[in-house]
Amino acid sequence: MTRSTTRTRRPRPPRGAAPPVLALGPVALPVHPRSVLCAVLLLVLVAAAAAATLAMGRLGIPLTRLPAVVTGAGEATEAFVLGRLRGPRLAVAVGTGAALGLAGALFQSVTRNPLGSPDVIGLGAGAGAGAAFAALVLPGVVPVPMGALAGAALAMAVVAAATGTGLRHPGRLIVAGIGVAAMAQAFTHFVVSVMARDQAGVLSAYVNGSLGARAWEHAWTIWAVLLLALPFVAALAGPVTVNEMGDELADALGARASATRTGAVVLSVVLSAAAVSVAGPIAFVSLTAPQIARRLSGAPGPNLALSALVGALLLVAADLAVQQSPVGDGLPVGIFTMGFGGVYLGYLLVREWRKGVL
Amino acid sequence: MSPVLSAEGLTLGYGADPVVRDLDLGVAEGEFTVIVGPNGCGKSTLLKALGRVNKPMSGRVLLNGQDIRGLRAKAVARRMALLPQSPVAPEGITVRALAARGRFPHHTLVRQWSPRDETAISRALELTGLAGLADTQVGSLSGGQRQRAWVAMVLAQDTGVLLLDEPTTFLDIAHQYDLLELFADLHRQGRTIVAVLHDLAQAARFATRLVLMDGGRVVADGPPGQVVTAALVEEVFGLPCDVVPDPRTSTPLVIPHERS
Amino acid sequence: MKTLTAPSRPGPARAVLMLGAGAAALAGAVLLSLVIGSKPTSPTEVWQVLTGGADPFTTTVVESRYPRTLLGIVAGAALALAGTLMQGITRNPLADPGLLGVNAGAAAAVVTATALLGPTSVAGTVWWALPGALAAGLAAYTVGSRGGDGGLVRLVLAGAVVSAVLNAYVQAVALSMPETFDSYRYWVVGSLGGRGYDVVLSVLPVIGVGVLLAFLVAGGLNALALGEEAAIATGANTVWIRSAGLVAGAVLAAGATAAAGPIAFVGLAVPHVVRALVGVDFRVQVPFALLVGPTLLLAADVVGRTIVRPTELMVGVVTAFVGAPVLLYAVRKMRSAS
Repeated sequence: MTRSTTRTRRPRPPRGAAPPVLALGPVALPVHPRSVLCAVLLLVLVAAAAAATLAMGRLGIPLTRLPAVVTGAGEATEAFVLGRLRGPRLAVAVGTGAALGLAGALFQSVTRNPLGSPDVIGLGAGAGAGAAFAALVLPGVVPVPMGALAGAALAMAVVAAATGTGLRHPGRLIVAGIGVAAMAQAFTHFVVSVMARDQAGVLSAYVNGSLGARAWEHAWTIWAVLLLALPFVAALAGPVTVNEMGDELADALGARASATRTGAVVLSVVLSAAAVSVAGPIAFVSLTAPQIARRLSGAPGPNLALSALVGALLLVAADLAVQQSPVGDGLPVGIFTMGFGGVYLGYLLVREWRKGVL
Repeated sequence: MSPVLSAEGLTLGYGADPVVRDLDLGVAEGEFTVIVGPNGCGKSTLLKALGRVNKPMSGRVLLNGQDIRGLRAKAVARRMALLPQSPVAPEGITVRALAARGRFPHHTLVRQWSPRDETAISRALELTGLAGLADTQVGSLSGGQRQRAWVAMVLAQDTGVLLLDEPTTFLDIAHQYDLLELFADLHRQGRTIVAVLHDLAQAARFATRLVLMDGGRVVADGPPGQVVTAALVEEVFGLPCDVVPDPRTSTPLVIPHERS
Repeated sequence: MKTLTAPSRPGPARAVLMLGAGAAALAGAVLLSLVIGSKPTSPTEVWQVLTGGADPFTTTVVESRYPRTLLGIVAGAALALAGTLMQGITRNPLADPGLLGVNAGAAAAVVTATALLGPTSVAGTVWWALPGALAAGLAAYTVGSRGGDGGLVRLVLAGAVVSAVLNAYVQAVALSMPETFDSYRYWVVGSLGGRGYDVVLSVLPVIGVGVLLAFLVAGGLNALALGEEAAIATGANTVWIRSAGLVAGAVLAAGATAAAGPIAFVGLAVPHVVRALVGVDFRVQVPFALLVGPTLLLAADVVGRTIVRPTELMVGVVTAFVGAPVLLYAVRKMRSAS
């Protein structure tokens, strides 16, 4: 961390101090102190919620026993709870939440739309229809999650084809998304209405996004996608930030606005699709996480890392509520994120309207 | 002297009816070139093509003799900055952080900060008189200050060439001249400036060279005194007028005829 | 994005002609709706029933199709008018009655009713769905229009919030109670079938009020189309126009949804058809929407009844699968929007 001291003539030192810089060998990154603080805090909260998820309720592993069980020195029951019941579910929740938060942050930033998320362009609805198709038409042939993934992919393909310009124009994407989502939803409703009640109930729960009965392979899937996405996220972070200032300026700064937007939307869709494949379409996390992250850090820009952490915290906390609250028992976690997300969005709106921002 | 920035056979726009047609233009180092012309004459389109924002239908733009389409986007941005007409200020950004965004082309994936950033940003804030407002949010600035903040951003980019697309639009007359004097200062310090302006008197007063466009072509090019003539203004803008010397600077002033 | 332009006058002659054509189309759709069903009948037989000269069996068959057709007319008219009002007020061609959270409100009321009282007939749920839809619509409207600047963003956000919270409630209740889930899943598809006269009659007064309001604000919407400031400058009371129009839109959408369940795209698409055919004068658009909406909804219902015989496809599914491709086609025609 150095600041130029060689200059002799400096009429008035500028008030705005330069941000601290993280320097390590060839690496030098400016750091936003409040963001770092928030990140640490969020990590602690995620860890706390994770510990609570493992410790609470019947079959919970007492906190004092947790280190032993994690290192493999626990009793058979405890090992079963961690290794089969709650461990994989928790790992899926953290990974899925992070992926959704990241996807939302990328999408909102490049579309300059605070209500944007891949759900808005029909990804979640497409996944639901895909799941419904797999459950009704090909029961037992195609696993429901595969159907969901295929549905999400098909929905995005239709949206991209319908715009005539791929994933480049946010306005067109959103209109095409409305159409695709309406069709997909009508199909899902239709399937749910013609199925036998029990199957329809299972499908309905899945379509809301659920973390029940997850195995380690689900966790590996979402974490592998997150890991693979990381270099792309890192490469896009700078251009995405510049992109917020308008296409022309981004182009003039050498950030190639159009390519950046396509890349960010594609990455966002891939992350969301991975989340859908392990947890079904979970509503509102990718929409609210970036909004919360931005308000926590107070920093302009997409706040990618913080959004991922907020997403993870939201989903782990919602799933904790599902597992441990009396009303949540057996309900899909997506209902909780939708309810809480809606209330939080309402609170934000009312608060900002009071201030006259919006 | 070979031009620092030049257009060769540039055709811009879409489809059968291009906005700019087969245009040649050379900008020498150290010039303050102002492009003027009626609405829709293609002046902004031309500026954006010079700044690598618009892709030409045909022809090329050369920066120091190299085709800018063949160069990396960031490499071009290290030598030439463009201030568009309506950039978007990210929510909650401070003046200093906005200026810092101009350093983007100087960064790499791992090296996103260097001591030269600090120098360039401070200098940009001083030049624009915003050093005292560095921590203020851009959203709370007055119109004139906000435009200065955007100028600070392109100055922090630290380029020899500045392209400005109607930088004084929406400002009151005092802030317009304030900003133009700033550009004149920057020009005196050795920067090459190409600007699109609406006001002929302002253009003539500050430019070292005027380029008058009409219907996608350059119809006159030279020192302001030669370009702004009653005959040309009437021909291009359809406005019968007298041209008199400005009483303070002797640059040409357009006095429209009253309609009788 | 396309915005509405200032009203032009296509000439009264053309307007009358188009209204006549619209009425003829509606008559055709009504006839089709009466002719087509599980027991095949011919137009001649339907005519005999209408004039009172048919055998008792055929009379019973055709008369059993009256309520469904009547509901199609009422719901189609209400949805089309609601869409026309919403698009006129927000000056956004994508505005839709569902924007205000009306569907979610009706759904929440339906599941609450079933959860508390046990399964009931569709007629029984109407009395719940109607106030539920109205309450949700008015809540979104009240929150979204505070400050009176009429920003679309606020309205959309408020509708999204109301919908999200209510949907979470609906899903939670439906998934915890099997019988509630049953009535919800049949209701949410959107259908004209299985409803009697009582359903139509119970929503008719509300829809009547909405239609009346729509006629009252039609002239004002022409002024609003020029933009807020220009409208005020021409002496229009923009606050009244907007409030009355939105209330009418909410009331109309609530009535239709309560009776038939959520039906996608009729409210979104009909205003576009109307604009393309009769131009931008709302005083012509309002009556024309009353003809085009029922025509399209009945046509969709007839398609649903014939396409997968011997069973039938609910009209909500048909409108989505017909409306969405049209919307996707329109996207391609959009000039580069950002």
